[in-house]
Amino acid sequence: MIKMLAFQTLRVVSLEILGSSCNLLANNVRSITKRCSPRSLQSQILRPLSSHQHNLKVPKVPTWEHVPEEELPRPTKIPADLVDRLERLALVDFRTQQGLECLEKAIRFADQLHVVDTSGVEPMDSVLEDRALYLRDDTVTEGDCAEELLKLAKNTVEEYFVAPPGNIPLPKREERAAILRHSEF
Amino acid sequence: MLGLTLKEVSLAFREGKISPTELCRKCLNRIKKTQRLNAYITVTEEFAMKQARQSEARLLQGIPKGPLDGIPFAVKDNFCTANIRTTCASKMLKDYTPPYNATVVQKLLDQGAVLMGKTNMDEFAMGAGSTDGAFGPVRNPWSYSDSYRTQGGAASDSDWVITGGSSGGSAAAVASCTSYLALGSDTGGSTRNPGALCGVFALKPTYGLVSRHGLIPLVNSMDVPGIITRSVSDAAIALGVLQGIDVRDSTTVPAPSALAELPEDFDVKNICVGIPKEYHAPGLSEETLAQWSRVADLFEKAGARVEQVSLPHTQYSIVCYHVLCHTEVASNMARFDGLEYGHRSEMKSSTEVMYASTRHEGFNDVVRGRILSGNYFLLKQNYQHYFVKAQKVRRLIADDFRHVFGSGVDVLLTPTTLTDAACYHDFTQEDNRTRSAQEDVFTQPANIAGLPAVSVPIALSRRGLPIGLQLIGPALEDKKLLCVAQWVEQRVNFPSISDCDNTQESRKDPGVTRREQTSAI
Amino acid sequence: MAASSIAARELLHNIKLIPYYQKSSCLFSRRISTSKLQCSSQPPEKSAPQQLVGVVGLEIHAQISSNTKLFSGSSVQFLAPPNSSVSFFDASLPGTLPVLNRRCVEAAVMTGLALNCTINKKSVFDRKHYFYADLPAGYQITQQRRPVAVDGVLTYSFLGGRKRSQVMRKNVHIKQIQLEQDSGKSLHDDVNSQTLIDLNRAGVGLMELVMEPDMSCGEEAAAAVRELQLILQALGTCQGNMSEGQLRVDANVSVHRPGEPLGTRTEVKNINSIRYLARAIDFEVQRQTAVVRRGGAVLNETRAYDSKSGETVAMRDKEGLQDYRFMPEPNLPPLLVFEDEASLPAGVEAGEAVLLRTLRARLPELPSVRRDRLVQTYGLLPEHSFTLVNEDGLMEYFEAVMKGTSRDPRKVIGWVTNELLGLLKQQDLSVSHSPVLPAALAELLELQEAGCISSSAAKQVFQEMWRSPGKAALQIIQELDLGLVSDAADLHRICQKVVDSHPDKVRAVRSGNQKVLNKLMGLVQKETKGRADPVLVREILQEKTS
Repeated sequence: MIKMLAFQTLRVVSLEILGSSCNLLANNVRSITKRCSPRSLQSQILRPLSSHQHNLKVPKVPTWEHVPEEELPRPTKIPADLVDRLERLALVDFRTQQGLECLEKAIRFADQLHVVDTSGVEPMDSVLEDRALYLRDDTVTEGDCAEELLKLAKNTVEEYFVAPPGNIPLPKREERAAILRHSEF
Repeated sequence: MLGLTLKEVSLAFREGKISPTELCRKCLNRIKKTQRLNAYITVTEEFAMKQARQSEARLLQGIPKGPLDGIPFAVKDNFCTANIRTTCASKMLKDYTPPYNATVVQKLLDQGAVLMGKTNMDEFAMGAGSTDGAFGPVRNPWSYSDSYRTQGGAASDSDWVITGGSSGGSAAAVASCTSYLALGSDTGGSTRNPGALCGVFALKPTYGLVSRHGLIPLVNSMDVPGIITRSVSDAAIALGVLQGIDVRDSTTVPAPSALAELPEDFDVKNICVGIPKEYHAPGLSEETLAQWSRVADLFEKAGARVEQVSLPHTQYSIVCYHVLCHTEVASNMARFDGLEYGHRSEMKSSTEVMYASTRHEGFNDVVRGRILSGNYFLLKQNYQHYFVKAQKVRRLIADDFRHVFGSGVDVLLTPTTLTDAACYHDFTQEDNRTRSAQEDVFTQPANIAGLPAVSVPIALSRRGLPIGLQLIGPALEDKKLLCVAQWVEQRVNFPSISDCDNTQESRKDPGVTRREQTSAI
Repeated sequence: MAASSIAARELLHNIKLIPYYQKSSCLFSRRISTSKLQCSSQPPEKSAPQQLVGVVGLEIHAQISSNTKLFSGSSVQFLAPPNSSVSFFDASLPGTLPVLNRRCVEAAVMTGLALNCTINKKSVFDRKHYFYADLPAGYQITQQRRPVAVDGVLTYSFLGGRKRSQVMRKNVHIKQIQLEQDSGKSLHDDVNSQTLIDLNRAGVGLMELVMEPDMSCGEEAAAAVRELQLILQALGTCQGNMSEGQLRVDANVSVHRPGEPLGTRTEVKNINSIRYLARAIDFEVQRQTAVVRRGGAVLNETRAYDSKSGETVAMRDKEGLQDYRFMPEPNLPPLLVFEDEASLPAGVEAGEAVLLRTLRARLPELPSVRRDRLVQTYGLLPEHSFTLVNEDGLMEYFEAVMKGTSRDPRKVIGWVTNELLGLLKQQDLSVSHSPVLPAALAELLELQEAGCISSSAAKQVFQEMWRSPGKAALQIIQELDLGLVSDAADLHRICQKVVDSHPDKVRAVRSGNQKVLNKLMGLVQKETKGRADPVLVREILQEKTS
């Protein structure tokens, strides 16, 4: 236990993306550091176990720290045309700088994966990867419910769902912004 | 009466101490009284009374359906309920009424349980505070408890604390005694997290043990319906009803054993409790750490083998979760386009314009943000770099657990959350993603690996707010996990919320409460 | 560890793995295909200037013939009222989950076996994302990473050579067969500027077959698709009707000079018959050849075939924007296929599993085997066996006729491929709609065999049977008085009349020109409307001209 603690070099969390919460975390870390000086720990160990004593199996200080910025790959900058492409593919819209920042932060957070050595590791789709998929008999059990379904739709014609005209790509970003301005909820 | 456990109420029914309609009315009244918690999006008063009358008739005829007959329950608003609107706390579905019941809802109704309403949550379950829904944030019932008001130094109503999430409404419903049982969903901790912060018992079963059919998905490969109750044995009863193969969900697995009663005298002497050292993460509060240590002591003193173990990839689990969650969100949310159901924009110059404006109007920033980044991770040029990489890390995390359980550990003991509940004001200073990364840090590894996990309320913090600890078991060892959880429950004497009936009725010995608090420091 | 070095390490790792993924058979068949392309229409001549030749690959969507959809229990039916055959899952209601239809898996596996594919014991499903009004979930469930069957070969033949009577045999490599969902249907209502959506077809099971670019022209592609159609129909895994959309074929076409890298390809869509397939490909090969000869560049684009003009026209593309953002379908554990009952893991019932041994045993006689059998059993020519098998129902018709007659099969085949098929084609009827049933034709042939009618009378009777369905041959013979005249006195009288009125011909015979005897015989048959017993007539005429 002492050995383990001796190797702990507590570093103030440097991940910018954690924002102001870092301060909060850092404060805690510091306060714990203060409380666990080797001497006080030693005296605790020598003392007989009591209900107020810390259980030795439970680490007294954090055993890891957030990945330092310098170990991460260079931050991804998202060019405007990529945001536009993503918005067109996903049919969601941001338009604001805030949206772009949110995306860049999400990518930055994900970048921590790249410090993990995964060579030789197979990707895992599901925890049920070794289980045989259930197969159903080919008998009709459902489906005759047009009325029930159509009443869920806002717009129908006879027994059809209705969409606006198709095969028209989404307009460019600027036009889109104009259209969506009118559709604020 | 409202503070009783499900088991106790079931007994009271049989003894004629109270009838299902009386109890239902009491709960409905209490829902009204606790309205400021904003725990429910929809209260199904008429339906509940109708069911209660039917249950009463069965009781009078001496043919109750089982331990759940007449028991009021609540359901998170992302489980489909036939003819009852199911909103996912989103504008997208605010008027959506599904034509079918989720399997878990149907199973409870089939047992005669009485549905009180649909509970509030983060929009599409994306969040860890129950603060990001279209129907406003949920308030933690403990915000109004004596313990928090007096010891926490809460001065005004604006100091209320969050429930945690995303199943905050369900946890609040059970904690505030408006339901005996509530369904939550647990993708990265969404049941256990509010369970811990609201001082109730929360179970996330093994992935596949409980059907997801009718659960509007967040992350299909990790979602599990969760169970929130005021006691471990209540959760065991509910799991006994809910578990098992559902032909409508191809990811369900057969229940390893029938589950009804847990043994009252489970002996921990022969079990090995693992303490994963990586679960002392940066930001863990000293009070939570102290409780973690105390319960480890309890085990040790009772003769269990307590061992420090290592799950080396724990730190990266939340990152892995982040990528896999966002990608599945991007995919799962694609169906919401306004064409067949849900909100539909008035814009109609083209299908794509209608879709884009519908999605713009219907989703909040959190949902749209996850859709955008999820799509980014799935782009052909990023697929290997982010998505497949996350899948590889997923295997490393699952393997960590496999090694530990393979080495003879029966159950892992960890904190559920870093700290007790934050004030709403403080919580919302951070964005949703940052908060989720902090809140889910201890809970999502069990989802990544598909393992059963519970949060057991342990003690109150100096602020007078609940602290919970988590137990994680090997896949399909849900029953054993519950046995261990019950053993802990029996020893920590967690106090029930003091203002449940605005009387002293349900309050436990206040001395117990004080004792818990001193030992927490 | 710096991320870049890890990335590099994984890259190396991947590179090392590549050779294991590529099957030697795959490389082998590619080599075949290249050499075949060189000799596509003309044999290659090294000295000749290199001609541009077409390179054709196909992407085929075959609708699986099943009672219910791929992932839901709603019925598969055509011509049902709109949206009457749509489950909650098909409409993508939130919370619904896919449940795989065993029949669809079996159909894909059987098709794979029939096409000599390797069946993947473990295959997986993926989501392919794009927004379209008739794709309710915003993604299609398909098998992108690991399909149910891979690496097969289709052997097809067509009639080639000078007289188009030579059976040409070729191979096309099948890259993979994957299971996937069909989409719904959009009806564009331009008047009211709206699109009507019918989801009856949404979620119907499809087998997507990818044929490698081993073909060089429309005729080869058409023959390959026809052979596939026959195989699917024999298996019963797909009804294979192209005009009803049960079989949809998109062609990837490019041109290049043999030995040089493949040219830029175009994808030709909207082809709804085999005939149009051949025309569309040939048009496209010619168009691209002209572009290249002009020094232009072929664009990588999607083109639609317009059957009226016989041309392909460029379709509006997604501006290079499309990215399907594939990801594993998380609601479906891997699809496992087992060799036999003995290989089943615990907890899997034999009745629930897909067993290769069982499916192999259920494979019916495939077209190529049928053709061989017809040649061996009946002594037919290969081209006849080809016609019998390739015309829907013709083989069955032929074999039914054979059951009712003792005539030489080589005579019967003439009746079936000339008389019957001729009339069917003339009237655009399928074999199953023939007014003359096999038993009736057999009866007619028996009457001829027994010497009751001459062959020319038999043809008249057949025509009459065609016009009056249900009337027996014997009845028609009597009504039209077409029975063979074998009364010696009658024949003597008629022969005498012919001999008397053609003294010049009689002289010719007498002077040794025996061929003229046949002309006299013809004249006798004319008198008797073909009813005269030829053997007797010959005897009498020989006697009278000697």
